[in-house]
Amino acid sequence: MTATMQPKSEAAEAPRRGRRTPGAGQNTRSRGRGLEFGHWWWALPGIALVFAIHYVATGIGGFFAFTNWTGIGSFKITGWANFEAIFKDPTKVGALSNTLFLAFGSVLLGNIAGLVIALGLNRVLKTRYILRTLFFMPVVLSPLATAYIWKYIFDFDGPLNAFLTAIGAGDQAKPWLADPQWAIWTVLVVLVWSSTGFAMVIFMAGLAGVPVEVEEAAAIDGANLWQRFRNVILPAIRPAVAIATTLGIVQGLRVFDPIMALTGGGPAGATETLATQVYKQAFALGNFGGGAALALVLAAIILIFAVLQQRLTRSNPED
Amino acid sequence: MTQHRRYSGLKVGALAVPIAALVLTGCSAPAGSNASSGGSKEFSLSFATSNTIESPFQVLGEKYMEANPDVKITFNPQPNDSYDQTLRTQLQAGNASDIVVTSPGSGQGRSILPLAEAGFLEPLDDSAKELLPEGSASTFGPEGKVFGQATAITVSALVTNETAAKAAGEFPADFAALEEQCKTLESSGKSLFALAGAAPPNTGLTAMSLAASRVYGEDPQWNEKRAANEVTFAGSEGWKSALEAVNTLKDAGCFQKGAAGAGFDAITKGLASGTSLAGFIPATSWKQLQSAAAGSEFGVRALPAESPDKSFVYASANYAFSINAAAKNKEAAKAFLAWAAEPEQTKAFAEIDGALPVTGLDAYDFEGGAYKNIGDLIKNGKYGPLPNSQWPNSAVYDALATGVQGIITGQKSPDQVLQAMDAAWGQ
Repeated sequence: MTATMQPKSEAAEAPRRGRRTPGAGQNTRSRGRGLEFGHWWWALPGIALVFAIHYVATGIGGFFAFTNWTGIGSFKITGWANFEAIFKDPTKVGALSNTLFLAFGSVLLGNIAGLVIALGLNRVLKTRYILRTLFFMPVVLSPLATAYIWKYIFDFDGPLNAFLTAIGAGDQAKPWLADPQWAIWTVLVVLVWSSTGFAMVIFMAGLAGVPVEVEEAAAIDGANLWQRFRNVILPAIRPAVAIATTLGIVQGLRVFDPIMALTGGGPAGATETLATQVYKQAFALGNFGGGAALALVLAAIILIFAVLQQRLTRSNPED
Repeated sequence: MTQHRRYSGLKVGALAVPIAALVLTGCSAPAGSNASSGGSKEFSLSFATSNTIESPFQVLGEKYMEANPDVKITFNPQPNDSYDQTLRTQLQAGNASDIVVTSPGSGQGRSILPLAEAGFLEPLDDSAKELLPEGSASTFGPEGKVFGQATAITVSALVTNETAAKAAGEFPADFAALEEQCKTLESSGKSLFALAGAAPPNTGLTAMSLAASRVYGEDPQWNEKRAANEVTFAGSEGWKSALEAVNTLKDAGCFQKGAAGAGFDAITKGLASGTSLAGFIPATSWKQLQSAAAGSEFGVRALPAESPDKSFVYASANYAFSINAAAKNKEAAKAFLAWAAEPEQTKAFAEIDGALPVTGLDAYDFEGGAYKNIGDLIKNGKYGPLPNSQWPNSAVYDALATGVQGIITGQKSPDQVLQAMDAAWGQ
């Protein structure tokens, strides 16, 4: 049992030990000379392209956040005016609140659902391979295409309202995506549906590393199902939880296409997020400076939450 | 030695960066030189398209090529919902088509005034000036210059399924009668109007149609007064009445069920099937609907005003041909525009588009056509340009369009929407 819980495997240690042996050292040196041809500067073209495409472009975009550029013609530097306008505008503040709600809601519900499915399909069940594929399918499908299918389902004349009418609950039928109270929850359902499969796969990879013997030993010691999950499985899959939640938050904060397809940010801004506002301001309303400022705010929020979340879920405090 | 090798290696690496950049950017150079060597008989044309029906701009271009076999036009149709963004990006990058379809005024991404002020459009000559609709010269260019050639007069009013309207009784003559008919139709499972409540262009046009008789019929110069800060949306009784009318229409059951979440397909479906009698869509749509629902007759009507004598419609040149200031084939583009400005071509374009011709409107025979119900209004001058073409930016229209959706869903009051429009005006 101790051996299985040891963090560093023998295999992982082998190369380090091998380096200390004299013969192996010579081999490494001769191999090293051969590899000297591959100097760090071989990466320069790639680094330059990445720098130009990602960092220079982002930097220029960031610069426009401090201007009143409309996307064409000349511009003036306006300092922090665009940022002040963001926090004074109730629509933008509403978009920020919707962004956080959808990101954390989809991460929480998507990860819980993904973990439950992963636990259910981890072992024993004969149809688990087919079911895994089915649950993972939403991740593979185009978010835009599936969002349009969901839009059809939630339409006033769509299958959901037809079903409600068929079971005698016709008075509950409503235009789900245009209802100010329900629209945001409807969007959340679609986001959770699309993110569950991804979380499931990460948790399944984590669960594959949990030895059966440990669970059996805990069961023999008298731990019930919940105690085994809480004290054995969950600590063992903590890195998987960290990955699934971090990626989920980043994805949730910048979600764009499903919302554009489902509601376009409506009704009257009820499902507007920072990402849809960035698009609207920069490209639909010709307020490129305002859109760039919003994009910077969104990037800062993603960075803050990603770092916070990593710190909260890291398994080793020294990491 | 190692240092030397590293130094020379660094030189090779440093060279690799500009070479890679040259390889990547060099690809576009031959294409550009080919395009410029195309000669004056060749040019490109960009326009927006939103359905599978052949665009009237393309049909006109093909007619030009038939008449001039030595001319080659490259058509660049763009999806309507991304046309503004694509056009601005291409103009900014210097690779837009030689001729681009624009809109007069300043309220949209494709509007002439901001594009002309940014130096992206070529000033046009007298033939374009002759086609300027009365009273709209200022929307075609600043300082007396003209940067767009009007293509047709587009009416923005109600497109009606005349067959279904006749079956439902007489079309209401005033707003009170309209409310009554809404209630009657609702009880029979139909609606007077098909509304795309989730599509801002449609909610915006609905509100502007309600403002036609209440604001612009009363004071055609209202936009100019707003620009001079003499009036405001929030302080305008006419605008307040127009937005309150949205609530009135909703309460009277004038819109189809689920209208708040409906898209444009609900209008097409409702009007084509006759479950809805009318829609707030550009009048040129009557022709497309006619081809989709062959058994029904479609026409154009004014939205009933509070009293019949106050009726007012929008009729203006909503689209124009403009020449890209960086066009490689300006002469060929100008020759096309000169041809398109001929009375025969303006008439032909209007017929293809289902619009009214930009010239000879006084002598136009409205009888028997789709526009027969608004013929008198046009002849009596009871029409004006679409208001948002004179608004300073697209944020004002966006505030109106999303606000109307908010009124329908109960999220916003007319006063809040009007205040938001005033705030957007100053942006």
